[in-house]
Amino acid sequence: MKTTITLKINGETYELSVEPNQTLLDVLREDLALTGSKKGCDLGACGACTVIIEEEPTLSCMTLAIRCQNKEITTIEGLSQNGELHRLQQSAIDHNAVQCGFCTPGWILSAKVLLENNPRPSREEVRRGISGNICRCTGYKKIEEAILAVANQNISS
Amino acid sequence: MKLPKFDYAKPNSISECCKLLEEHGAMALPIAGGTDLMMAMKNWLKTPKILVDLCGIPNLNQITDLENDGLRIGAMVTLRHLAQNPVVREKYPVLANAALAVGSTQVQAMGTIGGNLCQDNCCLYYNRSPMFRQAMGPCYKLDGDRCHAVKGSKHCWATYSGDLAPVLLALKASVRISDPQGETSIPAEQLYSGDGKQPHTLQFGRVITEIQVPAPPVNCGNAYLKMRVRKTIDYPLLGVAANVVMENDDMAIHDIVLALTAVEKAPLMIKAADELKGQILTDELLDGLAEAAYKQARPISNTYGYTPNYRKNMVRTYVKSAVRQSLERATGQGGVT
Repeated sequence: MKTTITLKINGETYELSVEPNQTLLDVLREDLALTGSKKGCDLGACGACTVIIEEEPTLSCMTLAIRCQNKEITTIEGLSQNGELHRLQQSAIDHNAVQCGFCTPGWILSAKVLLENNPRPSREEVRRGISGNICRCTGYKKIEEAILAVANQNISS
Repeated sequence: MKLPKFDYAKPNSISECCKLLEEHGAMALPIAGGTDLMMAMKNWLKTPKILVDLCGIPNLNQITDLENDGLRIGAMVTLRHLAQNPVVREKYPVLANAALAVGSTQVQAMGTIGGNLCQDNCCLYYNRSPMFRQAMGPCYKLDGDRCHAVKGSKHCWATYSGDLAPVLLALKASVRISDPQGETSIPAEQLYSGDGKQPHTLQFGRVITEIQVPAPPVNCGNAYLKMRVRKTIDYPLLGVAANVVMENDDMAIHDIVLALTAVEKAPLMIKAADELKGQILTDELLDGLAEAAYKQARPISNTYGYTPNYRKNMVRTYVKSAVRQSLERATGQGGVT
C-alpha cells in the first residue's frame, strides 16, 4: 500500500507517495530523477549508491525510502553551491581521480563525512574512510591524493 | 533487485512492537539497521508479509555508563556510534575494535549492535540469487532435503559470522529481551541455538532491547582478531575474542574466556580455557588451549576467501595471538613465560 512521505533532499522538501518495498536509491533515481547516486551491486557491497543521511554515510540501495521520513538527505547533486563545485569535486578533477566516474559520487560523499568528522586525516584514515567504496578504474591512489589535498587545505587555512 | 512486497509498521513503544510481532508470528520480521535483512530480502531468502520497524521506539539508541555496574547499550545503537563513544573507546576498546571490523564504514553507520547479534547464518550456497538456488535445488535452510556445503550431511551447516557476538561472550555480556508479557535478561550465549537453519533462540514477539556489559575488572585485558581477505566489506573467515583477568598479587590467571566466530553454527566458546584458571601461562599451556580450539572449530565454505582447511589451521595461530595480546594488556607487559 502506498504511503505519502516527506523527504528533505539537498535542502529541498519533496512530498511523494512510495511503496514500502521501494529503496531510497530507486526513489532518488526513478521518481526524482536524481541519477547522481549510482546503482552498482544493489546489495550493499560496492558503495556507489552512498548518500549522507543525517550526517552519516548510508547505502541508499539498502535503505527503504519509507524509513527516511523527514530525514535530511544529501546526494552528490547537493554539493555544488551556486554553480561552484564543492572542494572535493574540484580536487577530484584536478587530481584526475575520475576515470569512468561510476564510483565518484559515492566516494566523494564518504570523503565529505570523513572530513567533517576529521578535518586533517592521515593517509591511512583516508583509506579507511573510503574503504566502503569500490573503484575498478583508477586504483584509489589518485582518489586518496584528491582527498588529502582538500585535507591539506584545511591545515593551511 | 526488486524487493518482495510487504506491509510496514512503525510502532512507538516496545510493547506495541512485541504485540505486532507476536500477532503476525512467522509472517513478521523486525527491522533495525536492515543491512543483513535487506540483502536476504533482495535475494528473496526472506519474504515477510510485514516489517516492524524498531527505529520509532524511544531510548533504544542510548549508551549508559553505570560505572561499577557496567555499560548498557541500547539495541539500536549503530556500530559507528558504538565505536565513536568516548566511554566505549576508553573502557571497552575491544568492543569499538569489533564494531570497526564489521563490513564497511557505511554498514557500520547503518547496522546496529542488536541487529549484528541477530545476523543470520550464511553459506555460499544459501546466500545466492534465486536463479542460482533454483539450479541447485533447495537446501535445508530453504526447507529442502540436502546440504550443498557439506555433502551428505543430515542438517544445515550455515555458519554464524557475526563480529560482535564473540567479543560480548568473552566479556560475559547479557541481553535484555522484551516480549508482550514483560522482559527478561539472558547471557548473550543463550541467544544462539547452534542450528544453522534457525540460529537464534528468540521466539516470535521477542526483541532484544539492550546489551548489558559488566564493568571491566582490574588487571583485565582483551582482544578481538579477525581474519579476512580484504580489510573491509567482508565477513570474518575466522574471528577470535579473548578476555583475560589476572590475579591481583601474582602472575596467575584468575579468569579467561575464549570465543570464536565463523567456524561453527553459533559463536563457539572454548571451554578448555577454564583449565588455565589459577595457572601461570606457559607456552605449553597456550599450545594446549590453541589445540583444543583447533579441534572444536569446524569451518565450511560459507563465504569467499581461503579454504576451510586453511581457516581451521589458522585457529591455533589466532588463538595464541589473541591470548598473548590480552595478557599483555592485562599485565602491561609480555605475559607468557
